[in-house]
Amino acid sequence: MQTLYYVILVPMTYLAFAVFFIGTGLRLFTIYRTPKYPAALQIFPKKHPGRLWAIHDALLFPTIRKHNPLLWVFLMLFHIGFFLLIIGHIELFGEFGIFQIIPHEVFPGRGFVGLILCLSLLFFLGRRFFSPVRELSTPGDYFLLILIFLTALFGSQMDWARRWYGYDALLVENYRDYLLSLLYLKPELNFAVLNSGHAFMLVLHVFFANLFLMIFPFSKLMHAFTSVAMNKLRRG
Amino acid sequence: MDQNIRNDLLKLFRENLSRAMKLYLETCSRCGLCVQACHVHASMPQLRYIAAYRAEIIRKIYQKYFKAQGRFFPRLSEAKELNDDALQELYEAAFSCTGCRRCMVYCPHGIDTEMLMSLAKLLLVGARREPEMLSLLADTSIEKGKSLALFKKDFLTGIKSLESRVVEKWKSPSGQIPIPVDVQGADILYVPLSGARSIIPAAAIFNAAGRNWTLSFFEAVNFGAFLGDPARTRLILERIIDEARRLKVKKVVACECGTAFRVMKQLSGKQPFEVVSIVQEMARYLREGLIRVDRSRCNGPITYHDPCQIARNGGVINEPREILRHLAQDFREMSPDPAYNWCCGGGGGLVAMGEDTLDFRMKSARVKVDQILATGAKIVVTACENCHTQLSDLNDHYKMGVEIRLLSSMVADALVGPEETASTNPEKQPLQETTRIPA
Repeated sequence: MQTLYYVILVPMTYLAFAVFFIGTGLRLFTIYRTPKYPAALQIFPKKHPGRLWAIHDALLFPTIRKHNPLLWVFLMLFHIGFFLLIIGHIELFGEFGIFQIIPHEVFPGRGFVGLILCLSLLFFLGRRFFSPVRELSTPGDYFLLILIFLTALFGSQMDWARRWYGYDALLVENYRDYLLSLLYLKPELNFAVLNSGHAFMLVLHVFFANLFLMIFPFSKLMHAFTSVAMNKLRRG
Repeated sequence: MDQNIRNDLLKLFRENLSRAMKLYLETCSRCGLCVQACHVHASMPQLRYIAAYRAEIIRKIYQKYFKAQGRFFPRLSEAKELNDDALQELYEAAFSCTGCRRCMVYCPHGIDTEMLMSLAKLLLVGARREPEMLSLLADTSIEKGKSLALFKKDFLTGIKSLESRVVEKWKSPSGQIPIPVDVQGADILYVPLSGARSIIPAAAIFNAAGRNWTLSFFEAVNFGAFLGDPARTRLILERIIDEARRLKVKKVVACECGTAFRVMKQLSGKQPFEVVSIVQEMARYLREGLIRVDRSRCNGPITYHDPCQIARNGGVINEPREILRHLAQDFREMSPDPAYNWCCGGGGGLVAMGEDTLDFRMKSARVKVDQILATGAKIVVTACENCHTQLSDLNDHYKMGVEIRLLSSMVADALVGPEETASTNPEKQPLQETTRIPA
């Protein structure tokens, strides 16, 4: 069991990050190396400046707000939540003053961010079972949502245990030691990470998160990096 | 399907993958927002008419041959082999799409389904499965560019016979040719369609505005674009570019044809001339007082149908409204936001394919009919020959009881001389009997 934990927490994590960074970089490189389409692709009426409107479109999804407000609410909650969780994870590497503009304990949101994320994922998954989205969906769409749901669920459970039930055998300091040891290439698994009662949650969270990172460059998740560019094409 | 043919088609696929195309192929999240976008789906709610579903047909082939995921885990993305069935599906998707790009307004990523459909059309061309009619028309256009001398005489005779009808609408000063052709150093090269309808009103308007213009030998419509064949699109366009450069014109004015305008405007590249639509020219003449129109000639409620390739995809949105303010007393908007205007259902070569597509065109454009009827307008004006034909077909089929007009003919019929203060004198004499001094 300890070996399995080690494989997931150390080699697989390194591999996942390598695949994520190299894969995403290469995919973006191959896309941007492809010649441009020779003509303008925007639609009208045009608003200036196109670049800012493209960012606006990519971050605020105005077309979804207009045509499917319920989906928009969940999408905003999901994406904002995801962003806050990224900040939370960065804070596991150390303390950054800039993130403490609004003072909070790690993770931000007192556990509710993870909860909202899980609920919105269930909503996305649920709507895929109803026509016409059902007929448009491919198996990969369901699996991806399930994968993100599992990642978020096990991650959040650790947060919920600490925040809501006072669980103190696996703390932010323990995660920080583990992650910094990975960062400085001297991987070390402390006692809490390997042996506390919630260690299995951490391992499952890391396992699913690693899968997520490795799938990222090869899936539609790439929209995180391409959406602004695509909206720029539309805005002109 | 023969492996060699498949390889050739995949080569064609690869060679035509632009950056935008790759982004569009990689990114769809299948959120289903575009379900509401397509007029075909709104009129006939079937799965295959959803924009994302159309795009998926080409995307699944892309997955199979160009993506690791599709190669190793084909079932995850339902990657599909390129075979005869797939070609049939591509045909049905591509030639039931009018390329209006209304779905692009909805998509949160801004995916251009028309572009993906043009890739589908290109594969069909490669497999010689394209609609024969469009292919023939495209080849005829190209042939005309190669052997101008052969048809020049007939063309000039034909144009000569139209002159008296131009003069009926606007009497030019004596000595001036009503339809100038092949004029070196003219300011404007006007590129019409083959019918008199796109030549006579435009000629009257240019003459009334006192422009130094010349008529193109070629028709503006680009069947290569309908066909989805970039090579033939280019050849057809180049006939006009060459003519414009030879005559050293400052401006190429595209007639009322959506595809022609968009292709000329967006694919001409950097040239010594600018490309505008005749709609923009007419609006400018009215704005600058170069022509005047009599508002009283047009009675009853009027609405305007924005041709997709001119408005949503070409950016000419305010100009037609500006013109109609001069012409109409009771102008009614069809859609609160022109970006959301429904397509007439005739674009993408469907009208050019004639009777073959008539049944589909009528069924798929029911929402357009509802939209027109909701305005209560009696005259429907548009600025695209393709839309005009389709709207006229709809008018007959659904017994809408409206009149379909082209903007240029509305303007030409309402032209008045500078001394006539049109709107104050609704009971004035018919146009041809008044004395006019050209501006």
